Amino acid sequence: MPQMIFVNLPVTDLEKSKAFYEAVGAANNPAFTDDTAACMVVEEGSIHVMLLTHEKWATFTSKKIPDAHTTAQVLICVSADSRDAVDGQVDKAVKAGGKADPTPTQDFGGFMYGRSFEDPDGHIWEVMWMDPTAIAAGEPAEANA
Amino acid sequence: MPKMIFVNLPVADLAKSKAFYEALGFTNEPRFSDETGAAMVWSETIFVMILTHDKWKGFTDRPIAPHGSSEVSLALALDSREEVDAMIEAGAAHGGTADVNPVQDHGFMYGRDLLDPDGHVWGPFWMDAAVANGEQPMPEVAAQ
Repeated sequence: MPQMIFVNLPVTDLEKSKAFYEAVGAANNPAFTDDTAACMVVEEGSIHVMLLTHEKWATFTSKKIPDAHTTAQVLICVSADSRDAVDGQVDKAVKAGGKADPTPTQDFGGFMYGRSFEDPDGHIWEVMWMDPTAIAAGEPAEANA
Repeated sequence: MPKMIFVNLPVADLAKSKAFYEALGFTNEPRFSDETGAAMVWSETIFVMILTHDKWKGFTDRPIAPHGSSEVSLALALDSREEVDAMIEAGAAHGGTADVNPVQDHGFMYGRDLLDPDGHVWGPFWMDAAVANGEQPMPEVAAQ
């Protein structure tokens, strides 16, 4: 079975969040969606986001939901294919009601470029491009392992 | 190119957390690790970046959410119930806390939740492949 991760996030308005995640490019998987939760596919077969209403969330954990607008417990970063794709992703988020750049832009010229946006509940997503040749060039030699 | 995900988590004790994630089955990538952070590899596209609080502050000025609260829970799909149990036990033996939330045992699906040393919630789970692939509809899950 391929390696899969599901990022579970509590949301206050499921329909609004579903529309937001669709706007930033995640496809809804109706097989795992109902009126309490929505499965959003970021990368088929590997990266999924589960949006859960607070009521549904509470059936899984008694832990309190912190206000993600004012605190942060996680920064979720997803790769993009180019600098333009990074900017495009942030633009889409803004058009869909998200907020641009809650964290500082990471701009390391021709090597790496990262920006961020926040979803309607304040959860922060980073979008990052890294030059694939730079990544490959850094591959450690066996002798250095 | 398939998308990659990097889940960035603030940790109080980098060495302890590194050992914890290694016990869960992650592999450390030394090229992207130093004394302020460590890249922990789950697969070619799934990574966890554990960051010291000082390093974390360079990325966001929002204070870290209080211990005992949960902004996110991170679920990893595993191949069997036994692998779920093994991950929970390995985590509990390396500074984690097992079964912080109710065990999800629904026949076609089995999941347990684990806290890392900083209270971040991980939920390894197994799901019947026929259901996961959509070959069989998801059975109704009875209310807790």
